[in-house]
Amino acid sequence: MNPAWRTLSAKERILCVLKYIFLTICVIVAIFPIAWVIMSSFKTNAEILSNGIGLPSSFSLTGYVQALAISPILKYFMNSVIVAVVATAANVFFLAMAAYVFARCQFRFKNALYMLLSLSLVIPMTALLNPVYIVVNGMGLADTKTGLILVYTALNLPMSLLILRGTFLSIPKSLEEAAYVDGAGFFRTFIQIMMPCAKGGLASAAVLAFLNNWNEFTFALVLTSGQEARTLPLSLSYFTSQFSFNYTAMFAAITIAVIPSIAVFAIFQEQVVSSLTAGAVKE
Amino acid sequence: MKKRLTALALAALMTAGCLSGCGGGTETTDEGASTESTGSEIVINYPTFQCGVNTASPVVDQLIEEFNAEYAGKYRIQKEDVPGDANYVDKIKVQLGTGDLPPVVYGGGYNLLDLALAKDVVVDLTPYVEADPEWKALYSDVALTTNSRDGKIYASSSEGSLVGYFYNKDLFAQAGIDAPATTWDEFWQQCDKLKAAGITPLALDTADSAWVTSLWAGAMIATSGDEGYEFMKQMNPIDYNNQPTIDAFTNVQKMLQEYTTLDAIGGKYEHAANNFLSGQAAMIANGPWMIGDFSDETKTTADFADKVGVAIFPGNFVYDAPIQGYFVTKQDDPALEEAAVEMVKFFTSAHAQQVALEVQGMVPASSTVEITETAKQNYPLLVEFLDLAEGATVRTDNLQATMYPNLLDVVSQDLPLLASGEMTATEFCQTLSTEAAKNQ
Repeated sequence: MNPAWRTLSAKERILCVLKYIFLTICVIVAIFPIAWVIMSSFKTNAEILSNGIGLPSSFSLTGYVQALAISPILKYFMNSVIVAVVATAANVFFLAMAAYVFARCQFRFKNALYMLLSLSLVIPMTALLNPVYIVVNGMGLADTKTGLILVYTALNLPMSLLILRGTFLSIPKSLEEAAYVDGAGFFRTFIQIMMPCAKGGLASAAVLAFLNNWNEFTFALVLTSGQEARTLPLSLSYFTSQFSFNYTAMFAAITIAVIPSIAVFAIFQEQVVSSLTAGAVKE
Repeated sequence: MKKRLTALALAALMTAGCLSGCGGGTETTDEGASTESTGSEIVINYPTFQCGVNTASPVVDQLIEEFNAEYAGKYRIQKEDVPGDANYVDKIKVQLGTGDLPPVVYGGGYNLLDLALAKDVVVDLTPYVEADPEWKALYSDVALTTNSRDGKIYASSSEGSLVGYFYNKDLFAQAGIDAPATTWDEFWQQCDKLKAAGITPLALDTADSAWVTSLWAGAMIATSGDEGYEFMKQMNPIDYNNQPTIDAFTNVQKMLQEYTTLDAIGGKYEHAANNFLSGQAAMIANGPWMIGDFSDETKTTADFADKVGVAIFPGNFVYDAPIQGYFVTKQDDPALEEAAVEMVKFFTSAHAQQVALEVQGMVPASSTVEITETAKQNYPLLVEFLDLAEGATVRTDNLQATMYPNLLDVVSQDLPLLASGEMTATEFCQTLSTEAAKNQ
């Protein structure tokens, strides 16, 4: 027994036990969906539909073999990585510039412009489908990763602008003034002084944009037709149709799709968490 | 000043980008459209949901391969996978809105033909069909009705929708039932017998338009008498407030409350199918495309196929109507339109219907198509069903095929309310009528 435990009073011991119970519940809630998906990938269709939370009767890799045969999941996975990463980087970079201008500069119609851009947050996705399809087709970017990257960069515009403008507003002006006094220009001040200070906001905007890009389905469906540009969410539709289904293969495909993401997060979790909490500067 | 100019330039760039993205206009473009020409070969881009686990996927793949071989150097079909039926419909609707439809569209059970006709983008196939006696011979009277509007043929079917129900012979035997019911009174008695024996009589669903449950409802309407039969014959009816429909949904309420599994409420087709395939329910209404599942060991046990019997509905009724077929859309390039017509002709030929029959167990759209020995060997249950169906005296299309597309969602939303008793059958039918009237 831990010697520290003996030094605790009865009340403290109860609190300690309750704390661990709470933490255990949190861990179960977090892990259960992933564990359930992985477990389901070893079950038969009948087992999945009849007893969703039961254990598989046998461990077979058939689902994984079928998943790779039915859907080009690995190709789509790579496409997703490219599209989501590039679109997120472009979104955060361009929106940081725009947000900095909105946060710091004074010019006519600034508020009206900001309102206009922010209002695009409330435009429903379905209302954008036709115009975006026409524009992307007109630009000759249909069925290309570039087309998807441009659309995803723009789709996350309002949210990133909102986050980043707030971040830049929270950074003290004295930092920029010191940079100007030391002879730095507008662009250099933005890149070398403001961007590092806004690391927290940039990380938040990037995480949100990346998740949206990674999960986006509708535009990927409408704007692509071949295998070269299609992304991961589309691959999961290969496993169900109106009168046919293969849930085992679908859960195997989901497992193949999420395990790399979980591995990347597990490896880089310290950096991700620290970037989310960094940049809190107070005047 | 420099700072202000940079600020203005950046803001202007953002606004221009935003506005160019939102700008619509009605002008359509052919760039990046569904075709491309490589030398003298015309390429037909063919988006289809018949891919992945869809049972028709191997059929479509085989037909494309055969078409490309037969028309090598002249025409080539390039298949575009659009996995998921609903995704396909959504994509076609967007392309319909932007005037960028692919040359060939499969109407399936989604009534896409009428949506396309409303935009005047469908090629009239009448002269092509009239000029080809072999093709014309494949059109039965019912097929003509399904694929024609105002006396003009706009589409061509390859598949028939011949639907009855399947039953588990072992479970029937356990309940002391010798044969499927021939009247509805007998059917309800059999449900009671099964229930008394501790067996769930029916596999039903309510989500995703409630296909299985709707089949029982339609069968009861069609066999209720002249009024119900005439109602089932209507295309896009707007008045569901008639006695046969109200009575049928009163019975559906009874089925959902007393004779089905718990997961039917909110359950999809997959749940209903699994309940039948796992022997948890004794009957399921569905088409012959399900026969392949009876011997699919990822879904059921190895000997399940031997336990399944097939029947037509009580009242000597069977759903019998060709599924709305392929149609050609208007293109700027007449050569591409010609290629698309050739593709439709090939995909709906007697040979194509036989391929679907042998590979998928799909009932041919035309009664003149021979049931081959291979099909008989592959799908003995289908042959048994075709024999039974021949004796059916009442035939109509199914309820979902004739209702306006917006009602499919209403059915899914309101059936659980009907099952729980929060809604009566009369209120359910009134809601259907109200929603149907919105299409007028």
